[in-house]
Amino acid sequence: MNIALKSWADRNLKGDPILWAIVFLLSVISVLVVYSSTETLAYKSMRGNTEHYLFRHGFLILLSLIAMWLAHRVDYRYYSRISTLALWVSVPLLMYTWLFGTRLNEASRWLTIPLIDTSFQPSDLAKLALITHLAAMLSKRQQNINDIKETLIPVLMWTGVICGLIAMSNVSTAVLLFSTSMIVLFIGRVPVHYLFMLMLVGLLAGGVAFKIGERGDTVINRVKDFVNPQEIPYQAKQSYIAIAKGGITGKGPGNSDQKDFLPHPYSDFIFSIIVEEYGVIGGTFTILLYLALLYRSMLAASKSENAFGGLLAAGLSVALVIQAMINVCVSVGLLPITGLPLPLISMGGTSLLFTGLAVGIIISVSRGETDQIKTGFRGGNTFKRAAA
Amino acid sequence: MFLLIAIIALTAMGKVFYLQVAEGGKWTRIAEEIGLRYRTVPATRGNIYSDNGSILATSLPFYRVAMDPTVADTEVYSKGLDSLANLLARFFKDQTATQYKRQINDARVSGRQYIILNKNLIKYPDKKIMAQWPIFREGRNKGGIIFEKVDRRVRPFSYLGYRTIGFINENQQGAGLEFSFNDHLAGKDGSALFQRISGGRWKPVYDGTEVKPIDGYDLQTTINVNIQDVSEAALLQALVEHDAEYGCVVVMEVKTGEIKSISNLSKSGGKGRYREVFNYAVQGLNDPGSTFKLFSMMALLEETPMRLSDSIDTGNGQYKYYNSVMRDHKPGGYGKITMREAFEISSNIAISRKIQDYFGHNPQRFIDYLKEIGLGSPLGFQITGEGNPKIKDPKDKSWSGITLPWMSIGYELELTPLQVLTFYNAIANNGALVRPILVKSVKKADRNIENYHADVIKRRICSSSTLKQIQQLLEGVVERGTAQNIKNAHYKIAGKTGTAQRIKDGRYSRSYYTSFVGYFPADKPKYSCIVIIDDPKGFRQYGSNVAAPVFKEIADKIYSIDLRMHAPWMVSKPEDQALPVIRAGYRDDLDLICKNLKIPVEDRPTDPWVITQAKNQYVTYENNDIIPGIVPNVAGMSLRDALFILENQGLRVNYRGNGRVVDQSQKPGSKALKGSTIYITLS
Repeated sequence: MNIALKSWADRNLKGDPILWAIVFLLSVISVLVVYSSTETLAYKSMRGNTEHYLFRHGFLILLSLIAMWLAHRVDYRYYSRISTLALWVSVPLLMYTWLFGTRLNEASRWLTIPLIDTSFQPSDLAKLALITHLAAMLSKRQQNINDIKETLIPVLMWTGVICGLIAMSNVSTAVLLFSTSMIVLFIGRVPVHYLFMLMLVGLLAGGVAFKIGERGDTVINRVKDFVNPQEIPYQAKQSYIAIAKGGITGKGPGNSDQKDFLPHPYSDFIFSIIVEEYGVIGGTFTILLYLALLYRSMLAASKSENAFGGLLAAGLSVALVIQAMINVCVSVGLLPITGLPLPLISMGGTSLLFTGLAVGIIISVSRGETDQIKTGFRGGNTFKRAAA
Repeated sequence: MFLLIAIIALTAMGKVFYLQVAEGGKWTRIAEEIGLRYRTVPATRGNIYSDNGSILATSLPFYRVAMDPTVADTEVYSKGLDSLANLLARFFKDQTATQYKRQINDARVSGRQYIILNKNLIKYPDKKIMAQWPIFREGRNKGGIIFEKVDRRVRPFSYLGYRTIGFINENQQGAGLEFSFNDHLAGKDGSALFQRISGGRWKPVYDGTEVKPIDGYDLQTTINVNIQDVSEAALLQALVEHDAEYGCVVVMEVKTGEIKSISNLSKSGGKGRYREVFNYAVQGLNDPGSTFKLFSMMALLEETPMRLSDSIDTGNGQYKYYNSVMRDHKPGGYGKITMREAFEISSNIAISRKIQDYFGHNPQRFIDYLKEIGLGSPLGFQITGEGNPKIKDPKDKSWSGITLPWMSIGYELELTPLQVLTFYNAIANNGALVRPILVKSVKKADRNIENYHADVIKRRICSSSTLKQIQQLLEGVVERGTAQNIKNAHYKIAGKTGTAQRIKDGRYSRSYYTSFVGYFPADKPKYSCIVIIDDPKGFRQYGSNVAAPVFKEIADKIYSIDLRMHAPWMVSKPEDQALPVIRAGYRDDLDLICKNLKIPVEDRPTDPWVITQAKNQYVTYENNDIIPGIVPNVAGMSLRDALFILENQGLRVNYRGNGRVVDQSQKPGSKALKGSTIYITLS
C-alpha cells in the first residue's frame, strides 16, 4: 500500500516531495477548519445545510490541487511568455472590476463570471502575472540592471499601474503586492536607490488611490483603530477572545464559539479559529508549515539553473507566505484589520485556484528544466546568496 | 529574507502566547461581559378568520419603548431632551417630565447603552407617533430609539368558540385550531445577534447577519360568528337552567359539510359558571343512546325484509335478555306498535327485539353493516385529537349475549357528537356522507396557500328508498314522537332525541346524557345540528325536554338570520299611494325633500332618524331609535342610509335588489353582534 502510494507519487508528483506534503497538510487543515467555521454562514444562508460549504470548499480545494498539478507539469520557463499576456489582460479586468464589479462589503473586488456564476477576483490574476513578469524582466536584464531606460522604466511602470489599479478597491492587497515586488526587485539585484524611487512611485500611486478610490476612508479608519488602543474594534475583540480561549490544545475540532461572532471566520479570521479549536499547537504547526513552504521554495530557487526560475520561486513564495503572515498578524492584533485571506486555507472562490497555480509554478521550478526550449535568459543563477 | 519572515512568525506566536497567558483572564471576562448570542426573532403568527373574514384570533404587535441614550450627538440631545421628556410624561402618565429627563440623562452620563423607558407596551399607531418625537426621530442609529416588538395573541370575540380556536403554549402543547394548524400559523422564526445587557435583557446588535423571520399563514375557517354566538348563548342558557355538567353544540351546513359553529361548555367553579375547557364535540366519546337507533333502523331496512309497517309487541315495558332487563320509557309499556311508531316514540324493546330477531344468529352482519357505512373509523377531522369510535366485534372477549340488543339502542359503543352529526347530515344530504371541515383554506394575505374541500367520504350511505323512509322517520319524531314539543308552524325539523343513562360504578345510574340531533328545514335541509347536554338535574332529564328545545332555539335563530331559507316578511305598504314613497331615512334629508315638493309635514319628533307615514295629505314622522348594540330597523330606507346605520353598528351588510329596504335578516331590536352579516333586500 505504502509502496503503491510512493510509486504513484513518484510517477505523478514530480518536484520537491516535501512541498507536496506541505500543500496536502494545509489542504487538510483548510477543509477541517472551513467546515467548522462555515456553520454560522450555512445556518444563515443555506438553512443549516452545513455540507453545502463543505462540498463546495472541498471541490475548490480539489480544483486548486489539479491546477497545481497541471502547473507543475509545465516547464516554468513557459510562464515568462504567458506573463506578459496575462499582465495585459489583467489591466482592463482590474479597471472593469473597479468600476462595475460586484460589491461586497462596500468594495468592488469581484467579477462574477457568467455561465458558471463564480466570483473572480482579477487582483489574484494580476498578482501572479506581475510577479512572474518582474522575474522574467529582471532575469533577462541582469547584465544591464543599472540601465534606467532598459530596466527600470518598464519595471516601475508595471508595478505602479497594477498596484495602483488594485489599490482603487483593495488597499491591503495592493500594499502587499507592492512590498512583494520590492522584495523581488531587491533579490533581482536592482540597486537600492532605484528601489527608493520605486517606493516614491508607490506612494504616489497610493495617494491617487486614496483620492479617487473607494477604500480611502476604510484604510484611515482601520489604521486609526489600530493606533488608538482605547478602542479595540469588534472583530479584533472577538478574535482575541477566540485565541485566548484556545489554550494549548484547543477546544477540539468544530467546538469554536467565536465562529458565531467573528465576521468571516472562514477567511479573514480563520487563524483565530485554528487557535481556538486546535490551540497553540495547531497554530504553531500551521505557521511552521508556511515557514517550511518558504524554506523549501527558497531552496528550489537557489538550486535553479537560471535566474528566472530563482526569482520566480522566490517571488511567488515570498508573496504567499507574507500574505499568510499578515493574516496571522491581523488575527493576533499585530497589524490593523485587512481583508486578506490565509492562502491555501481560507475559503474563497478563485483565489484558491490562483494560489494553487502559484504553488504549482514553484514546484515546477523545483523540478528544474525539463524541456529544451530557447530562452532569452542570460547567465546562471546569480543570487543564491540573497535568497538564503 | 527567510530569517526576516521567521522572525515575524515568531512574533505572531509570541502574541498568541501573550493573549493566552497574560491577557487570557481579561479576554475570557470580556467574552462573558459581551454576552453575545444568536437569539431567535419570533415570526408573527397568522390570523384565524371566520367564514366572512371577521378575525377570530390574531397576533397584534406591541412595542416596548427602550433607548440607547448615548447615541444621539450633543446638539440633538440637548435640544430635544426637554420636549422628549415632556412628551413621554404626557404619554405614559406615570412619571413626571423631570423624572424622565433625569432617567435618560443619568443613563447617558454613566454610558448605559440600554434603558427601558416604560414597562408598558405601546401599540403600533402610538409607535408611529413616537417615532416622530425629538431625538427619537433621528432613528435607531442617530437617535438611539429602540422599539422592541412583542406579539400578543388577541381574540376580538373573546370567549366565542374558545376551545375550537384553541391555544398553544410554550411547550408546543395546546388544543383546537391554534394547535392543529400550528405548522401553518407559526411561520418560521428568524435569528439575530443579541448582546446581553444588565437586567438580563437582550439588545439586538445590527451586524447584518440577521435572518428575517417568515410570518405565519392565516386560516380561513367556516365558523359563522352569528351562528356561533347563537349556539353558544342557547347552550349556556340551557346548561344554567338544568345545572348540567357540560354540553356541546355543533352546527353543520348540510351540502358543504362546513362547521358553522362548534361550542363546548363545561361547568367550572360553581353553579351557573361554564367555560370551554374540553372539546367534547370532537374528542368526547360516549354511548350515543337513542340517536343510534337510526343506524339500527337503517340496518333493518337495508339488510332485512322488515318494513316500517311491521308491528311488534313491546309488552308491559320490560323485556329480559338473559339476566338483564330492558325497559321502555313509558311505565306499563307501549303494547303492540308498528316499527314506525317504535322509532318515533323511541321504544328500546321494539328496536332491540327486531335487531335480535334478524341479526341475533349472526351479529357479525350487523357490525359489518355499521363498519361498511363508515361508522367504525374516525372522520379525519382537521382538529387533532378526534375520538376514535369504539364498536365492539363479536370476536372480542367483552362481547356477550346482551351486547347486540343493547348496542342496537346506542349502548356498549362509543361515538363522538361530531361523528353522530356527520351521519345525520348524510341523511339530510340525500345520503352523501361528507367529511366535516372547519378550515377552508390556508392563506397568505389574499393568496391561498392550501385549500380544503369537503370530501365526500361516501356518495350514498343507503339506498334511496331507505333514505326516504329514514327521513320520514326523523320528521315523524318531531311531528308525532318524542320531540313534538319543538314542532312549529314556520319550518319543519327532522331529528332524533337521545337519552343515555350514564354508567357509574358499572351500573346505569340516574344520570343522563341527553341529546338531540337533526336537521332543518326538513323539506329542504340547510343545516344539521347536534345538541348534547350531560347530566341535567331536576325533573326534566330527557333528550326531548332538555336538548331538543336548545336545538329549536338555535334553529329558530338561524332560520331568522338566514334569509335564503324562507319567504321574506314584508313591510306593510303605506295605504295611501298619493304621497311619494318615502318610508324612513335621515330627517334633514326628508325635510328638504318635503319642503321642495311642498308636502306638508307634521313635525313632531326630534331624532335624526325617522320613519315616515303618510296620513291623509300629511307626512308624519316617528322616531326611529338607533341604539348601539341593537339591530336597527332599516325598513323603508334607501341603501345609502341603511348601509350607514348598519355599518355603524358594526354589522357587515350584504344587500340584494334596489329601491328601498323591504327585508332585513336580523330582526330589529335583537342584539347586534359586531362583525356578523346582515342580509337586506331592497325593492
